[in-house]
Amino acid sequence: MTAPAPRLEAVDVGYTYPGATPTQALEKIGLQVHDNEFVALLGPVGCGKTTLLRIFAGFLEPTTGSVRCDGATVDGPSPQRGYVLQEDAIFPWMTVRENVEFGLLARGIDPAARGAVGGELIELIGLSRFEDAYPKELSAGMSKMVEVARVLATDPAILLLDEPFGALDAQTRARMQDELARLWERRRKTVLFVTHDAEEALYLADRMVVLSPRPGRVKADFRVDLPRPRSLETRFSPAFSALKRRIWETLS
Amino acid sequence: MRRVPTQRFVLGFASLAAMVLAYTVLSNAHLFRPEVVPPTQEIAVAFTELVVGARPPPVTEGDMHAGHHGHSSAHVGTLLQQGVTLQDSLAITAARVLFGLAAGVPLGVLLGVLMGWSRRADDYLHPIYVLLRSVPPLALITYVMLWLGHGEAHRLIPIVYAVAATMVIPAYHGVRDVLVTYVVAARSLGARRWLLVRKVLLPAAGPALLAGLRYAVAIAWMTAVGAEMLMSENGMGNLIVGGGLWASRTQTKADPAVVIVGIVTLAAAGWAMDALARSATARLTRWVR
Amino acid sequence: MPPKKDNFFSGPGIRTRTARALLSVGALAVVYGIASEIGRGRLPDRIWLGTHYVENVQLLPPYPSLAEETTFLLESGILTSSIAVSAGRVLLGFLLGGAFGILLGIATGRATRAEYLADPWVTFFRFTPALALLPLFVLWFGYGEGSKVLLIATSVAVVTILGAHQGVRSVPRVYLDAAAALGASPGLAFRKIVLPAALPHIFASLRIGLGLAWVTIVVAELIDARMPSLGYLLTLAGAYPRVPTMVVGIATIGALVLAFDLLALWVHARATRWMRRTA
Repeated sequence: MTAPAPRLEAVDVGYTYPGATPTQALEKIGLQVHDNEFVALLGPVGCGKTTLLRIFAGFLEPTTGSVRCDGATVDGPSPQRGYVLQEDAIFPWMTVRENVEFGLLARGIDPAARGAVGGELIELIGLSRFEDAYPKELSAGMSKMVEVARVLATDPAILLLDEPFGALDAQTRARMQDELARLWERRRKTVLFVTHDAEEALYLADRMVVLSPRPGRVKADFRVDLPRPRSLETRFSPAFSALKRRIWETLS
Repeated sequence: MRRVPTQRFVLGFASLAAMVLAYTVLSNAHLFRPEVVPPTQEIAVAFTELVVGARPPPVTEGDMHAGHHGHSSAHVGTLLQQGVTLQDSLAITAARVLFGLAAGVPLGVLLGVLMGWSRRADDYLHPIYVLLRSVPPLALITYVMLWLGHGEAHRLIPIVYAVAATMVIPAYHGVRDVLVTYVVAARSLGARRWLLVRKVLLPAAGPALLAGLRYAVAIAWMTAVGAEMLMSENGMGNLIVGGGLWASRTQTKADPAVVIVGIVTLAAAGWAMDALARSATARLTRWVR
Repeated sequence: MPPKKDNFFSGPGIRTRTARALLSVGALAVVYGIASEIGRGRLPDRIWLGTHYVENVQLLPPYPSLAEETTFLLESGILTSSIAVSAGRVLLGFLLGGAFGILLGIATGRATRAEYLADPWVTFFRFTPALALLPLFVLWFGYGEGSKVLLIATSVAVVTILGAHQGVRSVPRVYLDAAAALGASPGLAFRKIVLPAALPHIFASLRIGLGLAWVTIVVAELIDARMPSLGYLLTLAGAYPRVPTMVVGIATIGALVLAFDLLALWVHARATRWMRRTA
């Protein structure tokens, strides 16, 4: 029995930033993400993880190699590949509700249906009280969750998340990780999650891909066989520590 | 924060009042010739004459010849003869300003957004923009006059031009500086062209555009008056210059009282329009962090 | 309309961009050349100026005519002496107006009360075109260099007041709080933190002011108009009218504006080397 086609595939991908001094960000990346997998992309700062994600999202064309989504070459952004950036991208001139409903608006869905889906998602992330608030009234963590809800509204099959919790403090980050894990349990999707935090990666993912420093190359690619659903207990289990040690060794 | 608006008014008013007082004292102190530094009363008289549109009848016959009360300058005389009043002139200039804004703002914004959005368009268009921008409006007005004469549309062209040129920069920076992240997010969510412009580009660039609009308002007033001074028989510019023949326009034998009345009125009108723009800005940018 | 995928986060290098700039300016030059040649025979050569006809007006002077004009102006020394004189006035007016504007702007930025006091005056001058102030200045300050320089200084001052004011006001609170936490006195905080942070705004407004100064020179040089003077050259050319002279005059001013602007940019870049590029 042959394995089903990967949802995301990078074949021999390389990327060099042009300019006066061209910098090679990625080299010979070969990567496959299968349906409903939660894959964490881990690596030190500057190893090209964001570049790779941008390529998957359709905003950069690889200098060498090719990138495919569901078998077809990636040719520009698409709501099928929901993308949450590292930077603050919540639209400050729209309320929380309008933000979440934006993807549906782009699709031409009528206001009633938009309201239904939007309301459900806002409740899912626990921000019903802030439905009509402007982003300036939200904390950083809340803003990020709104961005995640916004991306989920169009029900994409694939999620690309670029260090979404990077700017948050440890407590909030742990909480957000739980939220994300919970969301993923309820609506299984294919996820490619970029982070430089090994613990975060282990906690959330089914599979771990480790990149080397610039130029980024795939250094390791292994399964994370921790039981689901994950919880606080998982963080302190011996299996967790063993995997953590493995990562540290790979990285050094 | 209720004390603050009153403080603003009080101090501003006091500052103006102090100047008016000082000027009155100075101008009445017989230090300067009244034709050069018109006493405040004369300015007031000129103002009234221009508003009412007629000379006040002389109190005694002797006064009419003495010419001290009743501001009998040739400047005011010419204007009154042509049926010019202050409020009419102001209305006409304001209309030109509004037209210039209505036509120039979208033009400038469009150009600026295009240049900010597309690196390619920017590379090609920016040098042309810089070249055009350094043409002094006065020279431009003169040149346009040669081509097209003194028609109404031909007065409006420099105004539209100046407004558009002013709006290009804020639109350009508004799109370039703020936007990449939002556009990336929006495009990932499936937004395309029209929705992108309407719901992402314009709101995000909004604050910068509104700030630029205030500049554009000032420039529109100035250009309108300038054009009127050179080639119009109505409007505030014409009032200041004295409604004379074309050829003698730049030979300034104007009555300073009228000039002062004109300038003060213009400043007041400009300030009013600016205040409107400011409040509109405040309301439209409530969401700014 | 959306940029191509691979150019989104990283654009082409400076060489392509200069090439494009040259291409578009070159294209413009070619278009003008063609238009002026077409117009040579066709455009009206006699213009009614309200009271009389003027002959031999070249509405779109062809390049040879422009070249001839430029040569004449250069060889006779008219252009060079005019540039020298006018540039001198511009610089003087710019320095005076700029200095005054910055000082006043800083004052109004620091103390709200000062702002309220100065507000009506700044507004007053903001909406008054230089051309309207001209007769007043002549009457009050006479026909000499003073009123010309003063007129330019006024326009520059208005812009720099706003810029300095904004600059002082826009210093992020965090910097001030950090300084206070470290025990800095208000005076020290002002000198070492507020002023440097306000510098970009001040420089931006100085740039605008410089451009404005050149634009105003044409108006200012209507006062006691006589040669050598770039502004008067333009006015004469406009009144006569002699279009080739106008074109050369405008081109000269344009080139000077560009040159001064680039100089200002260079100074700005050197002075703010410590700042991160904010695009």
